[in-house]
Amino acid sequence: MADQIVLDHVTKRFTTKTLGDIVAVDDFNLRVHEGECFSFLGPSGCGKSTTLRMIAGFEDLTEGEIELCGKLVSSSKKNLYVQPEDRGLGMVFQAFAVWPHMNVFENVAFPLRIQKVNKTDIEKRVKEALHHTSLTGLEKVFPGDLSGGQQQRIALARAIVTNPKVMLLDEPLSNLDPKLRETMRFEIKALQRKFNFTIIFVTHDQSEAMAISDRMMVCDMGKIMQIDTPENLYNKPCNRFVHNFLGESTFINVVIQNGKAYPKGHMDQPLDLVVPQDAASEMVVATRPNEIALTGPGESGFVTHIEKRIFLTDRTEYLVPVGNQLLKVQTPHRVTFAEGEACAVHLVEPMWYPADDEAADKERARRQLV
Amino acid sequence: MKRYNSGVSAELAAVDGRKHLNMDKMMTAICFVLLLIIVVIPIVMIIYHAFFNEGKLEIEMFVQQVTEKKNLEAMWNTLKIAVFATILGTIMGVFYAWLLGRSDIPAKGLMRALFNIPYMFPPFLGAMAWDMMFNGRSGYINKWLVQLFGLSSMPININSVWGIVFVEVSYYFPFVFMQVVSALERMDPTLEESARIAGAKQRQVIWKITLPLVKPAISAGALLILTTSLAHFGVPSILGYAKGIYTLPTRIYAVIYNSGGSFDGIRQGAALSVMLVIVVAAALILQNRILSSGNYDIIKGKSMRPTLIKLRGAKIPLFLLAILTLVLIVIVPLVMIVLISFLKAYGLPLEFKNFTFAQYQKVFSANGTIASIRNSLFVSITAGIICMFLGTLVAYVVQKIKPKGKGALEVISMLPYAIPGTVLSIGVILAWSGRIAGINLYNTIWIILVAYLARYLSFSMKTSSAALLQVHSSLEEAARVCGASHTEGLADITLPLIRPAMVSGFFLIFLPAMREVTTSILLYGPYTRTLGVQIYSLRDAGMIPQAAALATVAIGIIIILNTIVTKITKDRKGV
Amino acid sequence: MANVKFDNITFRYGTNTVLENFSLEVESGKIVCLVGPSGCGKTTLVRALLGLNKPETGTITVGERVLFDAKKRVNVPAEKRNIGIVFQDYAVWPHMTVLENVSYPLKKQRRPKDEIHQRAMHALDQVHMTEYANHLPNQLSGGQQQRVAIARALVVDSDVLVMDEPITNLDAKLREEMLLEIRMIQKRLNATILYITHDQQSALQLCDKMAIMQQDGTLCQYGTDEEIILHPANRFTFEFIGVSNFLPLEKDGKGLVLNCGEKIPYTDAVPKEAENGGYDIGVRPNDIVFDAQSPLKAKVDSRVFLGSEYNYFLSLGKKQIRVQQSMLDARTKGVANEGETVGIRLLNTRFYPTQKGGATA
Repeated sequence: MADQIVLDHVTKRFTTKTLGDIVAVDDFNLRVHEGECFSFLGPSGCGKSTTLRMIAGFEDLTEGEIELCGKLVSSSKKNLYVQPEDRGLGMVFQAFAVWPHMNVFENVAFPLRIQKVNKTDIEKRVKEALHHTSLTGLEKVFPGDLSGGQQQRIALARAIVTNPKVMLLDEPLSNLDPKLRETMRFEIKALQRKFNFTIIFVTHDQSEAMAISDRMMVCDMGKIMQIDTPENLYNKPCNRFVHNFLGESTFINVVIQNGKAYPKGHMDQPLDLVVPQDAASEMVVATRPNEIALTGPGESGFVTHIEKRIFLTDRTEYLVPVGNQLLKVQTPHRVTFAEGEACAVHLVEPMWYPADDEAADKERARRQLV
Repeated sequence: MKRYNSGVSAELAAVDGRKHLNMDKMMTAICFVLLLIIVVIPIVMIIYHAFFNEGKLEIEMFVQQVTEKKNLEAMWNTLKIAVFATILGTIMGVFYAWLLGRSDIPAKGLMRALFNIPYMFPPFLGAMAWDMMFNGRSGYINKWLVQLFGLSSMPININSVWGIVFVEVSYYFPFVFMQVVSALERMDPTLEESARIAGAKQRQVIWKITLPLVKPAISAGALLILTTSLAHFGVPSILGYAKGIYTLPTRIYAVIYNSGGSFDGIRQGAALSVMLVIVVAAALILQNRILSSGNYDIIKGKSMRPTLIKLRGAKIPLFLLAILTLVLIVIVPLVMIVLISFLKAYGLPLEFKNFTFAQYQKVFSANGTIASIRNSLFVSITAGIICMFLGTLVAYVVQKIKPKGKGALEVISMLPYAIPGTVLSIGVILAWSGRIAGINLYNTIWIILVAYLARYLSFSMKTSSAALLQVHSSLEEAARVCGASHTEGLADITLPLIRPAMVSGFFLIFLPAMREVTTSILLYGPYTRTLGVQIYSLRDAGMIPQAAALATVAIGIIIILNTIVTKITKDRKGV
Repeated sequence: MANVKFDNITFRYGTNTVLENFSLEVESGKIVCLVGPSGCGKTTLVRALLGLNKPETGTITVGERVLFDAKKRVNVPAEKRNIGIVFQDYAVWPHMTVLENVSYPLKKQRRPKDEIHQRAMHALDQVHMTEYANHLPNQLSGGQQQRVAIARALVVDSDVLVMDEPITNLDAKLREEMLLEIRMIQKRLNATILYITHDQQSALQLCDKMAIMQQDGTLCQYGTDEEIILHPANRFTFEFIGVSNFLPLEKDGKGLVLNCGEKIPYTDAVPKEAENGGYDIGVRPNDIVFDAQSPLKAKVDSRVFLGSEYNYFLSLGKKQIRVQQSMLDARTKGVANEGETVGIRLLNTRFYPTQKGGATA
């Protein structure tokens, strides 16, 4: 597969009044393949939006190069900067950005009119774009009279009508209600299959990113943390930040002794885990509350009891003491234990990370202020 | 949640029982009565007297006035001036708004502040200054140019229709400028970015996206220029009167003035007023047509700074052009007025040996001057205060009590906004010079006050209305639940919350009223000249340096007042 | 703090009946959520409690005190009802400081100055806002404004605290925080809170007990969150509080079948009343599990990974059903692939009489 978007040592620095120099994007190297749906995911201020705007050409870069479809579009060395309108992209914005003074047809026809496509072709291509976005029949309507979902469909139709190779989606679903978000997600995927473009999808919603992406990039504080498929990212996060960011997490601090892992400060009973070869003497075991098997004390696992039972809407949460730490376990409603009841917990393939790193947490907090 | 908001006050009223209802009913009744007296009666009187004489229908006078050549010419001039002032003022306003809102022109903050100055500058003083410079017979710069180049005639004649258009454009373009700048600032930048992505060049984005999107702001500003120009008295009277160039407002003045204020003259004025009102109404209807075809919301999305367009090579020339414009329309006239005010006599060369302070002494020793400043302060402040409360009362009735006939109430209070000041004056004269219940206010300061009330009521009603809309009913209800009665809730919560709007409503009336001539020129009596009228009459009497001296003082007062107002409104930003 | 009793409340707007003989009792010291779709009359009910509208019939009592009685013509005015309210938009007065806001109800009771100050500061302390006493509301975050509104509602020792959708305008993360906050304040003060919302999700997270109102203004269930989730009283509740699949159960010859475009035999045990069909089986997506042994077969249309779970659409006959597989199951038992035919078992099934004329509105 050819690489459609290449970021080579891309860096963006700017100066703020309150915090001095900020490296918004720090040495991003990235290759997005043709036909891929690739997500940028991260908390606000992580650099994902800046990166997208650099690809679109709304921001220049401080260092590095960006290549689109084999063509260099931004380069600090060669002092090259291609205007956004000459990059041949499609783009959909969070606030829809459909033009309220044009009706649906005119909105979608606009890119073609700019390209001076002849009239019959415009009609044909707009009709097709509207058909694929289920807007047929609304040609004469003005966007102000349409719902948010319909407006976002106009934006999609307008983006696909020129048949771009690369589609940039900047939080396109964030302004829609949850139910509509899910439908639109399916529609975007269907359009991609049909028109075979490459998608860059920016979002801060991890479940949305996982549902839509082939691969995704998690970034934090202007640095790339990890790039992988959603399943690999979720199941094998490279560090605690990614683990915590991609879903609910629960951590146990453990001490390794004689090849066995004991909850820190509680050396009576080891956890039933296979300790990796390269483990240091103190580690953090990370898992997800709904990946812990909660069984009666007879079964294999760490024997303990239910400290607290919290009834949540779609699952039951149990707080289970492991030494003097509390482990969060979530089960479907049909698994029921009472508070105080004895039980066993078994962690399924957890992740192992080095013990706490407070310095990184502090830096993150500082960044949030930007 | 529709139920929650609509009819809430009615619900509360039902719970509160009769007491509450009576208070609301009383407020509603007061509104109707006051508006009847202030607005409806003068308007009815104009229409009545234009068509009736001594109780009998008499259409001849109206027909004769409308078909008289001089009047038709005046109407033609009015239209020509208004249309060209509107077109040129709009182009200028949009151009500078775009330059300041979307380009990387330097010193933006300062420039924005400077571009508001022409808005404060009384146009008729500007006209005076330009007349001093480019009068077709005696303009100082004209004379200087003739000398310099050995010309045989004066090169520029400001006493023409085009001169009037030029001066009006200079002081009216901020109407469009201010509207468009704020629209550009509120516009979601992704609307423009998405056009770039769609392949449009920067220039195409401006024409196809930006301008159409700010069209409502442009046409709102343009309409303001149009109606103001149609009704404007000062500039055409100063520049055109002597040359026999009339517009409808100056023609109305002339008709009444020439008849020595006789009833027949006033009746003829009323007939002309009807003509003027028809023209303005046509303009309003036109605007409604244009606006309704594209009313849309461009303010949404996350606020981001728009990408500014790099002017590159054009940056410095455009910056200089903007500065030059400001110098030309603000500094030059100002300097001219000040210089003339120091001259021993008008016509003497502008040389140091001809300068004196004597004109200031003369102006201030004449008893008319101090009285005129006092009169203006009195009517402006009184009108401001009364309108502030009355406008708020009307706004409260319309927004919160919503009685039957609230639509009528709203229309009546907004009506004077669309009616030229000159016309209103005639209505007030017809109504309050002894014809109704023997009340004769003619030649007293009260008649000016009544006219100001009618003219400016809509200003305070608008600001209070907007503020009341912001005060969600839950704020007052929260007070009720906290133990406050209906009146207490009003006094403790609603009134304090709209107080800033009331105060700015006051200044919105006070400031223009201070420099007003259009209305008071028809209403003043021997002892009731306003500041504007005094300057106007001094000039009319040929005492131009004295007029200039008083104008300098007036501009000083206006600048000081404006500074105070900006200070006050800034301090209130927190609320 | 006291309990609240609505008895036989009827309310009409003109000919439009919003509530008819509505009764509900809210226990003291509990958070009770009043939930229902917009327009179901919950706001009308609360406004009646506050004295902002006047029902046609019925009584409203708080503790021992009768606030409203249509027959005896009792109608305590709003300002004397001693009920605290936190409005949807907080209704914090923007021209008063935090302290002035909180002092206002006491001022209206004409209390001595010292007492006002002391009690207002105490109320602010309860919501941890003392350091902001002299701030203006626009200097505060949404969450802090809410706390001011709560303090203001509590300062006069209100018998009941009413909250009208206070968190609907916030984004998901902040909403979560605010719910925790309300919970903590309630614990600390042991307050009776009546919380009105149309958002069943936040209601379930927050409440001790929940009253679900139907579109027509009737009360359809009142119980703890657990009772409601585990034992929904009827189909409306079941559908209202979560994602659901409905499979029509019919009698076909001797046995029972699921009518999913084609007739699929259903062999699991059914309750007695459903033995002759005419019922819909309701089942939650996470109560459908894969089991190769099961005779009930379905085809996998799509699988989406959502992080904490896999979301499937399966075709059961011609009907599409939704299945959620937890990560624990996915890891221990494996996932199903698109296009594959799998055996499924329906757990925790519920039976509701089939509605005539299709689904609920």
